[in-house]
Amino acid sequence: MGPPSPSAPEGGPLVSPSEPDPSGRRLLPARLRLLRALELAFHGGTALAAAAILLFVAALLLVLVEGAAPSFLRFGPGFLSGSAWDGVHNLYGAYPAIVGTLLSSGLALLFAVPVALGVAVFLSEIAPPWLREPLTYVVDLSAAVPSVVYGFWAFFVLVPLMRGTIEPGLAAATGGAFPFSGAPNGLDLLSASLVLAVMILPTIAALSREALRAVPRANREAALSLGATRWEATRVAVLGPARGGIVAGIVLGLGRAMGETIAVAMVIGNIYLTPVSFFSPAQTLASLIVNNFTGVGIGLERSALFEAGLLLLVLTLGVNALARLLLARRSPEGMVRGASSLTRAIRRLRPHHPSVGSPRAALAAAALVGGDPKLPTERWSRHLRGRAPSNLRRRHGMEWIVLGLCLGALAVAVLPLASVLQTAVDRGGSAAVHPSFYVSENPLGCNPGPNRSCSVGGIGPEIEGTLIVLGVGALFAMPVGILAGIYLSEYGRRSRSRFGRSVSFLADVLTGVPTILVGVLVFAIFLQYDHDSASSALSGGVALGLVMLPIVTRATEEALRTVSVAVREAALALGFTRQRTSLRVVLGAARGAVVTGALLGLSRAAGDTAALFVTAGSSSFWFQGLNQPTATLTPFIFSNFGSEYGNLQADAWGAALVLLLLMLLISLVSRIAVRGHRPSAEV
Amino acid sequence: MTVKLEVSDLNARFGSKRVLYDLSLALPDRAVTAIIGPSGCGKSTFLRCLNRLHEETPGASVTGTIRLDGEDLRLLDPVAVRFRIGMVFQKPTPFPNLSIYENVAAGLRLLGVRRRQELDDGVVDALLHAGLWEEVEQDVDAPGTSLSGGQQQRLCIARALAVQPEVLLMDEPCSALDPIATHRIETLIGRLRKEYTVVLVTHNLAQARRVADHTAFFYLGKLVEFGATAGIFESPQEKLTENYVTGRFG
Repeated sequence: MGPPSPSAPEGGPLVSPSEPDPSGRRLLPARLRLLRALELAFHGGTALAAAAILLFVAALLLVLVEGAAPSFLRFGPGFLSGSAWDGVHNLYGAYPAIVGTLLSSGLALLFAVPVALGVAVFLSEIAPPWLREPLTYVVDLSAAVPSVVYGFWAFFVLVPLMRGTIEPGLAAATGGAFPFSGAPNGLDLLSASLVLAVMILPTIAALSREALRAVPRANREAALSLGATRWEATRVAVLGPARGGIVAGIVLGLGRAMGETIAVAMVIGNIYLTPVSFFSPAQTLASLIVNNFTGVGIGLERSALFEAGLLLLVLTLGVNALARLLLARRSPEGMVRGASSLTRAIRRLRPHHPSVGSPRAALAAAALVGGDPKLPTERWSRHLRGRAPSNLRRRHGMEWIVLGLCLGALAVAVLPLASVLQTAVDRGGSAAVHPSFYVSENPLGCNPGPNRSCSVGGIGPEIEGTLIVLGVGALFAMPVGILAGIYLSEYGRRSRSRFGRSVSFLADVLTGVPTILVGVLVFAIFLQYDHDSASSALSGGVALGLVMLPIVTRATEEALRTVSVAVREAALALGFTRQRTSLRVVLGAARGAVVTGALLGLSRAAGDTAALFVTAGSSSFWFQGLNQPTATLTPFIFSNFGSEYGNLQADAWGAALVLLLLMLLISLVSRIAVRGHRPSAEV
Repeated sequence: MTVKLEVSDLNARFGSKRVLYDLSLALPDRAVTAIIGPSGCGKSTFLRCLNRLHEETPGASVTGTIRLDGEDLRLLDPVAVRFRIGMVFQKPTPFPNLSIYENVAAGLRLLGVRRRQELDDGVVDALLHAGLWEEVEQDVDAPGTSLSGGQQQRLCIARALAVQPEVLLMDEPCSALDPIATHRIETLIGRLRKEYTVVLVTHNLAQARRVADHTAFFYLGKLVEFGATAGIFESPQEKLTENYVTGRFG
């Protein structure tokens, strides 16, 4: 696309008053001043929006530190090593939760990474083009499944399987040796790690795939033209350069796993003991908070929970910051492989005199310098020439093995999503097909029997509440996020200001902060300033807005940054102000991607449970007002997944199915939106 | 003159778009053949057919026969073909995460060469051949990407030479380089012709004139004329060729 023609996007050209503008009019100084003022206001406004991100991080730290202070003063470093969570004697220590968090996320990484890498290699390097997109979509989709739905599925499908078959099998095979000691019960560390692995797999796979795709085609072709098989080309020319991105994806996955709350709380057993085997029920920092947060008024326990939250924040912030730094590092020098002894040998043998040294090299070099180009040619050993490589069979065999492994990984990656969908349709389908399900209140708990039928009821209040809470969140997160994104892309990055870079970095890091902490933050702030609405639609909305904000900000920034500098310069050269360039030209060119980012934020918030669970309060009534507790979908599922009443459980499954379908719809829509206006980087 | 690569009735497509039409051409052994022609005439595609790289592009297809020393390429393993026919690209493509040494050793390692001495010899020879050795001998462990553009291109040539191919395909190897680096590469090509069959795609007519023994002129996916370089430039048989080499179009 060429530079926009002067007539295409209309906007007051900022021509100096002495020069006639293209239409022959003269620009009045007044109009100029207005444009300048607009420009200034725009710059200021977007900067303010960007500052909201800083404020968010500061508030998060401050509130947690302040809340944790009493516990810190009381226990000191003993909080890290103490293993009691004893409300009676007011003794609190986080050791079991810290161990639980590290073990569960570490194990999850161990399970997820090989599979994710196989999937990424398959999607980026092996799959034929027509298969790539749909498969990528399916894998990405499994990242959109809400964690409460994963937890629900794990509780009913994975846990019984673990308890009945896999864990006894492991115990028998190892004779109950560590780490497979103890009685298998399904609700334990191993199950939690598996669920976590399922949940972080799509993240790692997606980031690894992107890292692989970012390696230029020329690299692959260079390796191929050297006589590499396709797998060898991948290994030599693609995996190496992509290593930074892959490692970053893995670290990001680790952060996700450490902060994951709801699904873990549903399957880890929630017993506050330091795990001694894979079959130990345990607790993580996040599950500890969510299990104890409600109902705790004031006092030391609450402070201890804040301190656990602070620990979790530090852990996840640290891990995420590491991942982002790895992603940002673009200098390949740091990761060059090549421990050749040659340089060292040369340096040792001929530190100063180029004429002495490795005899062969010196001879040949001397020959070349001496103007006799024949010598190296004659010395050229010909043992390779004209022969087919002798190791071809083995190398092609390796190619097949890799293909098999990648296909296996893909199957393993897709299986959970298929099982989740199937289970949700099985158990929630019958409730969800009734139109009344979407408009009626929750039923009274009841178990259907031979001569007893139960009312099905519905999730009307939850749907209503969720929409309201999402609306409240979007109302402030969307404008602020998009403006902040504009600032980062149009002002921050370009001027390489420290402010811009740190906001962008923090927004990135914030997307990895556990939402339970966002919930705790909002709840604590409301508790202090507006006590009565601490558990309300408003507080839930604010929490969800904060969940969306960093996602929308970063997505907008990235979307705008794909619009090439040339387009901006073309607009500026026509006399557009910065503000008009940003709003009309850049935002216009990238609107598809911006909308996608907004949708992504919305769907992340819609699928979130932890933040809402802490803030929105619990209710099963229709909407009572913004300052009242409100019914919402994900906490409804979380509260009723283990219900003793069959009809409530069926309702929860119905809600899970609805959520799943909603996520499916959103990701489908966003995919279409991206396709509709793909912002071309090569404009 | 022995024929190294014999191309007959070569047709190539990208999806439904036809790029090469019924090309037939015999490339002589141990000589430099230049392919010239305006942009989009299929020069690069032709080159990429010669080492069966074209077929790796999604949607691409090839028909026709190419014989390497009389052997039909289609009957050979593409990996073996590319081992015997090396290639250098327009933009230097050193593997960014590998050192200079490992870049050159990459092909040898693929072949299963493990012994340090053998690797060292191969790497040094290839670097000497490519005329890069003196510039890098002090630090072959530096990243390949730390070199200048011209050095990177010679590194890529060294990498291709390290596995001792019989044919070297060069796709506008100097178009991203400055005149001095270009000169060095041209000198190098001049030296290589004694040992290799070089096929050089170039936009630069003067370059073709300087280094090529034979020149083929392509236009719109068809071979217009092929012959000794002097003949092509001084007494072309075809009007089209004459117009092109005299700068009337292109």
